[in-house]
Amino acid sequence: MTETLFKHMRDLPSSHLLGTGTPTCAGCGGLQALHQIYDVFGGKTVFVNAAGCMTLLSVYPFTPFRGSWLYTAMACAPAGAQGIRDALDILLEKGQISADEDLQTVVLTGDGAAYGMGLSATSSAIERGLDFIYLCYDNEGYGNTGQQYSEATPHAARTSTSKGPQGYPGNKKDLFSIWAAHKPRYVATVIGAEPLDLARKIEKAREMPGPRLIIALSPCPTGWDFSPDATTDIGRLAVRTGIWPLKEYENGKVVHTRIPRKRLPVEDYLKRQGRFSHLFEPVRKEALLAEIQGRVDAYWEGIEG
Amino acid sequence: MYRIRFHGRGGQGMKTASRILGTAFFLEGFEVQDAPRYGAERRGAPIFAYVRASRSPIHERGIIRHPDLVIVADDSLVPVPAAGVLAGVTGDTLLLISTTETAATWRDRLNLGDAVLTLPAPPEVEDRLELRFAGAACAGAAARLTGVISEASLEQALQEELAGLPAGVVEKNREKALEGYALMAAHEGRVKAGAKVSARAYSAPDWIDLAFEKARISAPAIHAALTSEKMPTGLWRTMRPVIDREHCKRCWWICSSSCPDGVIDIDAENHPRIDYEHCKGCLTCVTVCPSHAIRAVPEHQAVTAEETGA
Ligand SMILES: Cc1ncc(C[n+]2csc(CCOP(=O)(O)OP(=O)(O)O)c2C)c(N)n1
Ligand code: SF4
Ligand code: SF4
Ligand code: SF4
Ligand SMILES: [Mg+2]
Repeated sequence: MTETLFKHMRDLPSSHLLGTGTPTCAGCGGLQALHQIYDVFGGKTVFVNAAGCMTLLSVYPFTPFRGSWLYTAMACAPAGAQGIRDALDILLEKGQISADEDLQTVVLTGDGAAYGMGLSATSSAIERGLDFIYLCYDNEGYGNTGQQYSEATPHAARTSTSKGPQGYPGNKKDLFSIWAAHKPRYVATVIGAEPLDLARKIEKAREMPGPRLIIALSPCPTGWDFSPDATTDIGRLAVRTGIWPLKEYENGKVVHTRIPRKRLPVEDYLKRQGRFSHLFEPVRKEALLAEIQGRVDAYWEGIEG
Repeated sequence: MYRIRFHGRGGQGMKTASRILGTAFFLEGFEVQDAPRYGAERRGAPIFAYVRASRSPIHERGIIRHPDLVIVADDSLVPVPAAGVLAGVTGDTLLLISTTETAATWRDRLNLGDAVLTLPAPPEVEDRLELRFAGAACAGAAARLTGVISEASLEQALQEELAGLPAGVVEKNREKALEGYALMAAHEGRVKAGAKVSARAYSAPDWIDLAFEKARISAPAIHAALTSEKMPTGLWRTMRPVIDREHCKRCWWICSSSCPDGVIDIDAENHPRIDYEHCKGCLTCVTVCPSHAIRAVPEHQAVTAEETGA
């Protein structure tokens, strides 16, 4: 393995490259992950962004980026990235830009686009071996339009389209495995609450060619209904309860980068969020809680030593 | 026609207030428009919502330029130019401010005479975003000020608009709305419906006319980096994080990585510094600091302390 620049928390950047003054909600876990990721990418990037909360970052004439940005329709950001990559390659070949002026092509979408509408475009981009990074900030719903359910919404969560006593009846799609099944160069899960793990993975992805895909679980005070000061706490709990496994896929293998020593009960994570309050009030829904815990236990069986 | 504008912060229920008031008007037989000003604004950011109500069809569209009644749920917005609380206020406009200060203070401050009324805000609430029921109280007060909405219609409108929320929350809102309604008893009917504006009298706002340029010039492409920093998102803040230099262990700057907005950087002596021009006041830094070296101070107190040099 190549040496990482990020051995300790102390090695993390202490001033930040992403511009301030963006319109995302106070306490946005998506922005938390993005600003950490941007510190590692640097400004020589072009973001290809499908409609979602992060589209608000670049509302004319404002941008927090140092490099470039392109807006696409929800389903086709990877296709947009292909066009940009091709254009950059042609310019490089013709000598119209120097290697130094080349940009890293980064698709930036929410889970609605990544898990659902844009999945087919991603599948073919991986198949074509497109040299790009896909960054999905996963707030488990259509955040920008008022948190309707998406294919990333977890079982039993309340969304604005799943208001019944049982919450969302479906299950969160396993996008990591779907992406990994395409055998791209790299797939990883990250979270802003674990900045060191995140920085190492982004550093690694940055240096590789080919399709590299990252999912950042993004605690969302607005959509998940918690106070904005709890973003990091909730992110840490997602990892410590085993709900959000931190892992990477490379060369046909999946490696867990952080195996929670003693997993906390999933309840510790669920009860901090209003979107799960119906699991506890007016009466505890034991069966649903046991079902959620059971799924997490089954996942970790055989993984934890 | 009544033209009513609600001002608050994202999260204080202004959209709900406008809907409750709109529905209450409707129940009284009015034609109604109610809408929040739709934009990218998020929790804490200044927002407004408006209601038009008339006995005859409403042909006016768009934001209200000259309101008959302006309701301010969060008095810290009055001095914020971007909030536009006083925009288009005329000699006939009534202003209702939810505040812990007296009406006399606000009349002096705004030089608006008896056109200013106040609604007592709970003084024990330090963080104004905790004013969760501000919307209901304002809707109730506004209903009474019009003089054409009965208590029963207000209640029914509230039940309709809040259907689906837990019973306890609806009850609390109902209580607050009725309280607002009762408090304005002495001022019942103070709001005067403004005259209809005929299309002929319409004068266009001061548009900036953009010449029709080639796409290469006129396309909305941004040719500069970091322009977002021109947006003073510090105005969203109702609570201010303050770092205590004595207690800060200058750890691994956990606060700096965790801050969603990346507004904490580290100076040459390894001390963290907060950019208050842009800090949105989420208080994530307060919860993550392992040394408890960051505390939260109500923004209005911090501002007063700054102004008096305390
Ligand atoms: C094809 C299409 N359908 C619907 C929309 C409206 N829309 C804009 S943003 C958005 C939500 C996107 O959700 P997600 O990708 O999870 O991003 P988030 O808003 O959560 O950041 C929707 C539905 C759209 N822009 N395009
Ligand atoms: S809705 Fe959620 S993801 Fe979207 S900006 Fe707000 S906190 Fe961030
Ligand atoms: S997290 Fe706390 S102790 Fe660490 S640098 Fe920030 S303020 Fe200082
Ligand atoms: S309150 Fe703290 S974490 Fe939140 S924006 Fe301000 S400095 Fe950053
Ligand atoms: Mg989403």
